[in-house]
Amino acid sequence: MKTTITLMGKTYQFKSLKEIMAKANEEKSGDQLAGIHAQDAQERIAARHVLSELTLADIRNNPLLPPEEDEVSRVIEEGVNEKIYASIRNWTVAELREYLLSPNVTNNEITHIRRGLTSEMIAAVTKIMTNLDLIQAASKITVETRCNTTIGQKGRLAGRAQPNHPNDNLQGIKAAIFEALSYGVGDAVIGINPVIDTADSVKAILNMTKELIEKWNIPTQNCVLAHVTTQMRAIKQGGSADLLFQSLAGTEQGNKAFGISVELLDEANELILKEGTAAGPNVWYFETGQGSELSADAHHGIDQLTLEARCYGLAKRYKPFIVNTVVGFIGPEYLYNSKQVIRAGLEDHFMGKLHGLPMGVDVCYTNHMKADQNDMENLAVLLAAAGVNFLIGVAMADDCMLNYQSLSFHDIATLRELLHMRPAPEFERWLEKMGIMENGKLTSIAGDPTLFL
Amino acid sequence: MSRVEGQSIISVGIDIGTSTTKFIVSHLKYAKVSSHFSLPRYEIVERKIVYESPMYLTPLKEKRDEIDLKTLTGWLEEQYKKAGVNVSEVKSGAVIITGETATKKNAESILHYLAEKSGDFVVAIAGASLEALLAGKGSGAFLRSKEVKGTVANIDIGGGTANVVLFRRGKVLGTITYHVGGRLIELDQNGEITFISPSIEPWLHSKNYRLEVKKKICFKEMQQIVQEMCKDMLNSLTGQKLIRLDDSLIHSTSFQVIPPIDEVMISGGIGQLLEKEAPKTIYDTAVYGDIGPLLAHEVVKEIENCSLKLIKATQTSRATVIGAGMQSAEISGATIHVAPSRLPIRNLPIMMIELDNEQIKNRDYVYEQIKHAMIEWKQYFQGEQEIPFAIHIRGISYCSYAVLKEVAKILFSLYEKYFPRNPVLVVICENDIAKALGQLLVLQSNNKVDIISIDQVVVEQGDYIDIGETINQSMVPVVIKTLAFMKN
Amino acid sequence: MNQADIQQEKLIMELQTKISDKIIDKDEDEKSFHYTVVDWSTYVPNPKFPEGIDELRKVTPARIGVWRTGTRPLTKTILKLQLDHAAAVDAVNGEVSDSLLKEFNLFTVETCYENKEVYLKRPDKGRVLTEEAVKMIQEKCVKNPQVQIVVSDGLSASAIEANLRDIYPALLDALEVNGLTQGTPFFVKGGRVACMDHIGEILQPEVLVLLIGERPGLVSANSMSAYMCYRPRKGTIESERTVISNIHSGGTLPVEAGAYIGTILRKMIDQKASGLHLEL
Repeated sequence: MKTTITLMGKTYQFKSLKEIMAKANEEKSGDQLAGIHAQDAQERIAARHVLSELTLADIRNNPLLPPEEDEVSRVIEEGVNEKIYASIRNWTVAELREYLLSPNVTNNEITHIRRGLTSEMIAAVTKIMTNLDLIQAASKITVETRCNTTIGQKGRLAGRAQPNHPNDNLQGIKAAIFEALSYGVGDAVIGINPVIDTADSVKAILNMTKELIEKWNIPTQNCVLAHVTTQMRAIKQGGSADLLFQSLAGTEQGNKAFGISVELLDEANELILKEGTAAGPNVWYFETGQGSELSADAHHGIDQLTLEARCYGLAKRYKPFIVNTVVGFIGPEYLYNSKQVIRAGLEDHFMGKLHGLPMGVDVCYTNHMKADQNDMENLAVLLAAAGVNFLIGVAMADDCMLNYQSLSFHDIATLRELLHMRPAPEFERWLEKMGIMENGKLTSIAGDPTLFL
Repeated sequence: MSRVEGQSIISVGIDIGTSTTKFIVSHLKYAKVSSHFSLPRYEIVERKIVYESPMYLTPLKEKRDEIDLKTLTGWLEEQYKKAGVNVSEVKSGAVIITGETATKKNAESILHYLAEKSGDFVVAIAGASLEALLAGKGSGAFLRSKEVKGTVANIDIGGGTANVVLFRRGKVLGTITYHVGGRLIELDQNGEITFISPSIEPWLHSKNYRLEVKKKICFKEMQQIVQEMCKDMLNSLTGQKLIRLDDSLIHSTSFQVIPPIDEVMISGGIGQLLEKEAPKTIYDTAVYGDIGPLLAHEVVKEIENCSLKLIKATQTSRATVIGAGMQSAEISGATIHVAPSRLPIRNLPIMMIELDNEQIKNRDYVYEQIKHAMIEWKQYFQGEQEIPFAIHIRGISYCSYAVLKEVAKILFSLYEKYFPRNPVLVVICENDIAKALGQLLVLQSNNKVDIISIDQVVVEQGDYIDIGETINQSMVPVVIKTLAFMKN
Repeated sequence: MNQADIQQEKLIMELQTKISDKIIDKDEDEKSFHYTVVDWSTYVPNPKFPEGIDELRKVTPARIGVWRTGTRPLTKTILKLQLDHAAAVDAVNGEVSDSLLKEFNLFTVETCYENKEVYLKRPDKGRVLTEEAVKMIQEKCVKNPQVQIVVSDGLSASAIEANLRDIYPALLDALEVNGLTQGTPFFVKGGRVACMDHIGEILQPEVLVLLIGERPGLVSANSMSAYMCYRPRKGTIESERTVISNIHSGGTLPVEAGAYIGTILRKMIDQKASGLHLEL
C-alpha cells in the first residue's frame, strides 16, 4: 500500500491507512479533539490524493480495527459478498467515486456493487466527494422499506413526528402529535424520546400512541426511543410497539458504553419479530451520529466519519425500517459550526444510502454550536434534493425536552411543496381523507391540532 | 433505570347507602414519574379493584332511624376476611354514608368509628356533593368527559337521593342533589304503601299528592307521581326551571345556574335497573318493595324527552364505593417537610391565602393578608383555636429566596401570636416549594412548633383535608373533602 | 353581547387606561413597543374545536397551535424563536458578574479552558484547574470539609446570574436543617462537570456539590444543574454522580432545589454513596 506522496514539491509521509483516512476528512472539531486531524489544508488534500489512489483491496487488507478484536468489524466482514468484491477489488477509491457518479450507473448497479463494499470503503469514497457529489450519488439510490406502511419511494419525503415532553406527560405528547399530523407529518413514525426510562412509563407511551393510531386509522408506526432493554421489558409487559429503537456506535466498545452488543440486538430482534405489533418485515429504528464513539472514549484512533460508516455496517444486519443520523446533536466538540454540520449531514446520508439503508436525518443543532435555524433550512433543502427518506419534525423546531433545535413541521411541509415531493403514499391518502391535504398541498384546515379532539 | 418501577398501597371503600352497603378493596399503584435528573415526583398510575363485596342490605334498628352498628361491623369484618386483607395493611380509602342513611341519628359517629377502625388512613366522607363527585368518578362519567367535547352529567340515583355531578373536559363544573330515589316511597305488590320518606313529603304536598301509609295506590297514579318527579328533576337540570333554594325537590346545590348538558350517565341502584323491562302493573313495580323499577324507567323516558344523549355507565350500583375506594386519595409532591409524629392528621379545615407572583413581593401586603385571614379564622372558630387547621398558599408559580424567607417569617410570627397553643403548623402549597418553605419555617420556629409543609395539592376554601403517613419516606397521601354547596 | 358582558368590557377598558396612564408615558408609548408573552402568541384563526386550542397548549411547553402563512410560520412565531435562540447564544458567550460573586464571598479560579472557543471545542480542558487555581484553593480553602460547594458558569453564565441568589441561601439553610457543615466555597470559570474530580483530589471533601450552568435551551437560557458526588476523585465515573437539572424559574424552582440538595447530601453521607448507588 502506497502511503507517501509528493505534492508541489513537498513530501507527505503517512504511517497508516488510519492516518490517511483521518487526515483526508473535511475539517471537524471531533477529529481535532481526538488529535488525528490534518495539520494544515495542504496535508488534508495530500491525504485525500493518497486515499484516492488506494484500491478497495488495500482498504480491506489493512483493517483499521481487526475483526478478531471487534464484533462490529466481524459483522461488516460477514456481510461482504466475495464474488462481487473480487470483481471490484482492484478499483481505486477514485474509480469508485467516478463509477457512482457516471450517468450509466443507476440504482440497479449500485444495489449490486454495494454487496462487495465494506463500511471502510464507503467511508473512503465519501472523503473524496464534494457536497454536490454526495447529493447526486445519493439521489440515485432508492431504499424502500415496509413496517405498517412503505416509505422511501422516489419523489416522497416522509417525516417523523417527534412530540417530546419534558416529563412525559401523555396529554402533552398527544397535543404535539395532533399538531404534527395537522401539518401532514408523522408518516415515517410517531416517535417519542422519553425522559423516564422505566418499562411502565415506556409501555404507557407505547399504548397511548398505538390507541391514537388505531382511533384515527393512521397509516404509520409507533416507537418509544428508550434503551432497547427497557423497550423489551415494556413489550413483554404488554406494550404495543411497531418499531424497536436503539442508538448504535461503530465499535464494540462504543456499543458497550451504550449498554448493547450484537448478542443483545439479536435477542431484541427475535423479540420484536415475535411480539411486535407491526406487519413488517422492517421493524427497527436506529440512530447514529458522528462523534459518539469518541465521547465514550471508544474510537481506537479512527476518525468519526469512518466510525459512522461502521454504524451503518452494523445497522444493515437488522434490515431496519428507518435509520436516522442525529447530525448536530452531540455538540461543538465534534461538529463545531454549520459548515461542519452540513457536511456531516450529507456524508451520513450518502453513506447510509450506499449501505442500502433507509436514511433519514435529524437536521439539528444545539445552542452552543455556531449554527442557527437558517443553516438547518439550508441543509434540509440539500438533503431533500439528495432524496432523503425522511426528516425529523418538531413543533417549531424547538424540542422542549431534549433542548435542541431540529426542523419544524412547517419546514417539512415547505420542502414538499417547494420540491414537489409527497408524503408516503398510504399516509397521503389518509391526509386526503382527513381533509388536510389535496393534490399534494395542505388545505385551509391544515395546521389545526383540534381536528383530532 | 429505576429500582422501583411501581409499588402499591391497599385502599378500601365503604359505601353505606339508603338501601345497600358495599365494600371494595383496591390496589393503588404509585410510580415515580420523574427522571433521575429532576426533583422526584410520584403519581398514582393505576387503580385496580381486587375485591368487591356483594350488595348488603344496610342494617337499621327497628325504628329505622339508626344504623345497626354491631351487625354492620360484623359484616365488614367478614368482608375483610374474604378479601384476605388485614386492617393494618390498609393505607388509604374512604367510608361514605350516602343518601337517606346520612340523616340517621348515629350516622356521624358511625362514620368516624368506621374510618378509625378500617385502616391506617381511611377517611370519613359525608355530604351530597362529595357523594355526587365520587359516584361520577366511579361510574366512568369523569373519564368520558375527558374524551368527548360536551358536558357530561352523572346522575347517581340510589334509594334516597339523586346526586348529580357535571364534568367537562376532565373538570368538575359542580354538583346538585335532588330528593329523587327508589326507596322514598315503599309499597307491597298489592299496591299498599308501606313507607313514605319524610324528605319527599314536602314535594308531594306541593304537588297535591296525598299519599298515606297503609293506603293502596294504583299503577297509573304511582306512575304519574314518579313521572312528575323525574320531569321536575330534568326540567331543573336542563335549565327549564330555575334553581331556587326553596324548591322542595332540591336537596342541595353548588349551581345557581346549570350549564347545558350534552350527555348523561345514570349510576347507583337505579342505574342498575335500567336494563330491566319496564313495569306495567303495580305488582311488577313493587318487586323490591319500592318504586325503583318505575323510577328507572321514567327517568330514561324523561331524559329522552329532553333529547339528552344517554350513555351507559361502566359502573352503576357500585359507582360510589368505587369512587370512594379508588378515587379519593391523591399523593402530594415528593419534596416536602413533615413532622412524622404528627401523621396521620385528619379533618383539617382550610385557611386560604391567595398571593400571586407580584403580590408576594410586597411585604406589607403579605403581612396584612395573613393577619386578616388569621383574625377572621379566630372569630369564626371562636374558642376552638386548638383545633389544627391547614394554611393553603395559592397562586405563586415562582418565588425568590428572599421573598420566601420573608413569607416564612410573617407566617410563623403571626401564627405564634394568634394560635400560641397550637403545637403544629400545617402549610399546603400549590406549587413545588414546600420543602424550601418548610425548612425556613423550621429555622424560624426553633423547634417550638412541629412543621408540616406539603405541596402539589390544590384545595378550596371550605374543604377539609386528611394527611396520611409518609410513603417511601418522601410523600404523603391526602384526601380532600370538598363540601361546597349552598343549601343542606 | 349581553348586559353583563358589556359591563365587564367597560371595566376592563377602564382598568387598562388606568394602567397605561400610570406606567407608560404617552409620548414614549408612541415611540416604543412593549412586548409581553401574550404579544408573541399566534393562534389558529378558526379551530374546529375552539376551547381545545388552549387545552392543548396548556399541557405542553412545545410551540403548538401557532398557525402559518402558506406553509411558513407567522412572523411573530419566527421572531420569538429567534429571540429565544439569541438569549441562549448570549448565555453561552456571557460572563458571571464580579458583583454577584462578591455578594456570596466566592473567590474565582480558572480551568485550563483558555478562551470560549477552546472551551467549546475541548471539554477536557474545562475539567482541569490551572496550577495557579490549585495553589489558590490550597491556600484559601478548609481541607477535608464535610460539604464543599463549588459554583461554575459552565455553558450558561446567565444561569448563575439568574439562580444563585435563590438556590445558594436555600442550600445553606438545608445544610443547617440537616446538620451539615460546609468548607470554603468558590467559583470556577470555564468549568465542566468533571472539574469536580480535580477539586475532590485537592480538597478531599466528603461530598461535593457543583452548581453549574447548563447547555441553554430555548425554553430557558438560564437553566442550572446541581451535580453531587460522594468523595469525588480522579476516575469518578458519570454514574457515580447524582444530578438535579432544569433548575430555573420556569422549571424546578431554585429555592426548592436548594432545599432538596440538603436532603440528598445528608443521604450521601449516611449511605457513603452517590449516583446509581444512592437510595433516594
